[in-house]
Amino acid sequence: MKVPLSWLKEYVAVEATAEAIAERLTFSGVEVESIDAVGGTYDRLVAAEIIEVAAHPKADRLKLCKVHNGQGLLGVVCGAPNVVPGMKVVLAGEGAVLPNGMTITATRIRGEPSLGMLCAADEIGLSKDHTGLYELPAATLPGTPLVDILGSPDTVLDLEITWNRPDCLSLIGMAREVAALYGLPLRRPVVEYPETGPDVSTLTDVALEDALACPRYTARVVQGVRSGASPVWMQRRLERAGVRAISLVVDVTNYVMLECGHPLHAFDYHRLGGNRIVVRRARPGERIRTLDGVDRVLDPEVLVIADAERAVAVAGIMGGEGSEIGDSTGTVLLEAATFDPVRTHASVVRLGLSTESGYRYERRVDAAGVDWASRRAISLLVSEGGGTAARGVIDRYPAPVDKRRLWCRFDKVNQLLGFDVPPERVRSILESLEFSISAVRPDALEVTVPTFRNDVEETADLIEEISRVHGLDAVPTVVPVAVRVEGADDPATRARERVRQIMVGMGFSEIMHYSFLSAGELDRFDRDDAPGRVVLPNPVSADFDVLRHHLVPQITGTLGRNYTRQVRAARFFEMGRIFRKDPLSGGLSEADRIGIGIMGPASGSGLQGKRAVTSEAMMLQLKGAVVALCEASGLSRVDLAPVSIPWFETGWGFEVKADGNPLGTLGLIRGTIRKIWKITEPVGVAELDLDPLLAVVGTTRRIQPVPAYPAVERDVALVVDESVLHGDIVQTIWKQAPKELIRVDLFDIFRSEGVGHGRKSMAYSLVYRSTERTLTDEEANGFHEAIKQGLRTGLKAEIREG
Amino acid sequence: MTLNEIIEARDRAFQEAEAATDAAALEAVRVRYLGRKGQLPQIMACLRELPPEQRGEAGRLANEFKQGLVERLDNRKPQDTTAAAASGFDYTLPGTGCKPGTVHPVSRVIADVIRIFGRLGFTVADGPDIETRYHNFEALNTPAHHPSLDAKDTFWLDGGGLLRTQTSPVQIRVMERQSPPVRIITPGRCYRRDTTDATHSANFHQVEGLYVDRRVSLADLKGTLACFMREMMGPSVAVRFRPHFFPFTEPSVECDFSCHLCGGSGCRVCKHSGWIEIAGAGMVDPRVFRKVGYDPEVFSGYAFGMGVERIAMIQYGIEDIRMLYENDVRFLEQFR
Repeated sequence: MKVPLSWLKEYVAVEATAEAIAERLTFSGVEVESIDAVGGTYDRLVAAEIIEVAAHPKADRLKLCKVHNGQGLLGVVCGAPNVVPGMKVVLAGEGAVLPNGMTITATRIRGEPSLGMLCAADEIGLSKDHTGLYELPAATLPGTPLVDILGSPDTVLDLEITWNRPDCLSLIGMAREVAALYGLPLRRPVVEYPETGPDVSTLTDVALEDALACPRYTARVVQGVRSGASPVWMQRRLERAGVRAISLVVDVTNYVMLECGHPLHAFDYHRLGGNRIVVRRARPGERIRTLDGVDRVLDPEVLVIADAERAVAVAGIMGGEGSEIGDSTGTVLLEAATFDPVRTHASVVRLGLSTESGYRYERRVDAAGVDWASRRAISLLVSEGGGTAARGVIDRYPAPVDKRRLWCRFDKVNQLLGFDVPPERVRSILESLEFSISAVRPDALEVTVPTFRNDVEETADLIEEISRVHGLDAVPTVVPVAVRVEGADDPATRARERVRQIMVGMGFSEIMHYSFLSAGELDRFDRDDAPGRVVLPNPVSADFDVLRHHLVPQITGTLGRNYTRQVRAARFFEMGRIFRKDPLSGGLSEADRIGIGIMGPASGSGLQGKRAVTSEAMMLQLKGAVVALCEASGLSRVDLAPVSIPWFETGWGFEVKADGNPLGTLGLIRGTIRKIWKITEPVGVAELDLDPLLAVVGTTRRIQPVPAYPAVERDVALVVDESVLHGDIVQTIWKQAPKELIRVDLFDIFRSEGVGHGRKSMAYSLVYRSTERTLTDEEANGFHEAIKQGLRTGLKAEIREG
Repeated sequence: MTLNEIIEARDRAFQEAEAATDAAALEAVRVRYLGRKGQLPQIMACLRELPPEQRGEAGRLANEFKQGLVERLDNRKPQDTTAAAASGFDYTLPGTGCKPGTVHPVSRVIADVIRIFGRLGFTVADGPDIETRYHNFEALNTPAHHPSLDAKDTFWLDGGGLLRTQTSPVQIRVMERQSPPVRIITPGRCYRRDTTDATHSANFHQVEGLYVDRRVSLADLKGTLACFMREMMGPSVAVRFRPHFFPFTEPSVECDFSCHLCGGSGCRVCKHSGWIEIAGAGMVDPRVFRKVGYDPEVFSGYAFGMGVERIAMIQYGIEDIRMLYENDVRFLEQFR
């Protein structure tokens, strides 16, 4: 909200600087977003009348104007499209300095003399408007200094008023705050006017059909109001508060709203069917064209102000075109009412209509303040518009608000704030905010809350008032006392931290993605999983319209984007939440996952960096990382099983199992997906459920004693068909192993013509150890021979000797 | 070859060894005297031809020559720092195989926050990202017509759920199942329908804290936040409160800390104010306590919340929040 200081000072005689006031307000809960200087001394800027307009001989867009500046005629060249004889405009004379720093000199423009400049609104700092000359009221006398028309320089505070403080959405409301902060009295304008017209009840009537939606409705009538513009002082205040001046009647309603926070609406009395008001719900399908020129279809959820026949306004939000104040209006019906915040908000959202009035009603307008606002507006229509006020008011107010009473206990104040506020200070602060003290006890005050402070409902709210006016600087900084809390060890947090450390230690960098992405991105990976996705009904953009149900697409995309930025090798992991919809029940669920993505060689230096990575090498890197993560976490027996997954290359997708339980998947991303980023090398991606890892990681395991006797190592090389898997060989070895066999390590795979087409040589190192004694060579050889024999018979393997 | 000749050769060799200034010269001396075709092997070969009574003395001299020269050459060597050191190993080559990954800045900040509050006895609590209207708004004293409930601010889901707009619902869930005292922090992901720009993201992280006990005061809150900010931003940092409004706290404050870069004198980072806004906080509203069945006459408590990305941006000097979700290797690798 914009508060011109000169206007504010009409209600509170504060003498501090704008900066000092802004500081006090900021530290009492009203944030000052900016302090803007407006207006100026306008040296050598005067009103002038255009006498004559002629074409410029050398430029189509320029005109030669003869203007009268109160002393004589002078020639000025002007390019504005709206210049016409008789118009009253602003003339910047020779030597004038405009707010933008431009100095005016006598000059020639395309050969024609110009003894000054005619100004647009932006050139005199009134607005950003540069569409044409700024037009002064027709009655302005040429030669009047501009400062006498626009007023002296002023400062405008732009305030952010929090949602709970609608009482601050007005000049008087802010003046009340300033008065409380500076210990000054608040001065309200005195409202007095003669009621010389007929009794209002002979002119109109109000039927209030929904008192829940409209707790109070008043109507006053004023006759014979002149048409035309509002006085310049009023226009100036409105403009400085950010409201455009329109006409006397509209300006008066806006002026009073800015002054006291109470929205008003002026109807053209003669255009109201039956000259009366009905406050009711809209009829199904009822139409109204609102003042913004939009035709709107209403429904019974919307409260309207109607005349005898049709809706003439959306209650509390915007008037309709049929009943608005026109140029010829002589009789005004003035509405001052309150509307229910919840219903107003619903209508604002439903109709997509935000207005100053709706903004205030959504936050609650004080029903007790209705009458003052109404009378204030009538008094202005009488004094500034020459109107005749009808006698009395029609006031529909079936359930007047009660004033709330609260006990404010001093010990409670001091306890919650952590420092002592003297009781007399408590009292003076509350009274300065127009709370009244209705009873006093040694330990407490009974406080009557003013009706405009509906946000104050309990003692805690009073304590906030006391603390913010007293100043939070007084709050001491109490050194916290650390306490021991049972279970504060946070095993879940530590488990996550441990998994993160394992991944980082293996050279993987943590990445983080949004929880949402586009359906298109997901479709690239799997077109058929749409029923399980959680779609956002109101996404910020089409790029983020689905919650992710797996991590693979974003990890792949990040690898791809880095690839297009010339990064060839990267190892990433993400620990993130995924979201799923049960396609049958529609129920939503979420789970935590860890995703891993690799491209390029594994080396930490550039020495192997240029070598292309084979699919097999990539799969082994990826499997190595997944197995190491599982084992370091404490999951044993990690196996892969081939599985068909849409985003993996055929034959390169696998399910990961730990102790036989499915844990996730890993594989190489399909070439058709990789080509989006023109990646020609394999990309490995794995995704695992995080919870099984977190359940075991960091748990304390029992430790075995280290072996007491030396081990004996024996190698075996065997030639088998390509179809025989490493896993088959290892299984065969273990199947017949003596208890002394403790390890089997693959150390070579060899293919050559000598080995034979379709065959491979696999070399293993087997380690034997006894827990009871040192093994002899003979014993070890015996075990080894038996295993070789088993391989020959079990796998038809040819054992290579020597 | 006479004994004198051996002595002369020895003295000459020792002089040359002393005079050599670089590795090449030393190597030349070595080759000239100790090499396969050098002088010493020649002397050794000549020994046999000497008369028997001189052989012993000559042998001793020759050995002295050899040992003395080797010693002198070796003594000169350690000062040699060029690549052609004895082993020939180019120790300036890059090492291999060890390139640890990096932890994401958001995770780093969360870990720091957990560590600092952990030492004060705060336990981590977590909750779902998909929340109920009750836990995210109603129980937190946010009326149905508060603008934060609007579809333009909150991601509502089919079926009436929503993506939590704050981690405060976790506080409600904890208070629903636990009696005071409660001391928790709740790091987690939140969602608001903000249009993404340099400082806004529709998806961000918060850490909130909650402490409920008998006689907890605003001064305790200030002390705790001051303690945290000093741990996080440096020992000279101070905090101040500004009154504000949140539906779930009363009184409500915004917390600033004195700029860690300029010490409060004003710089670009603190927009020349000397202070940086860091947290929203306040005393838990009695209406919230009643919702979870705590008696506000008996218990009081404070709550605070801060944006993790914001802290990361301040700490690391990151100017655009989108960098945190871009996952550009050139950005991430700076977090070693």
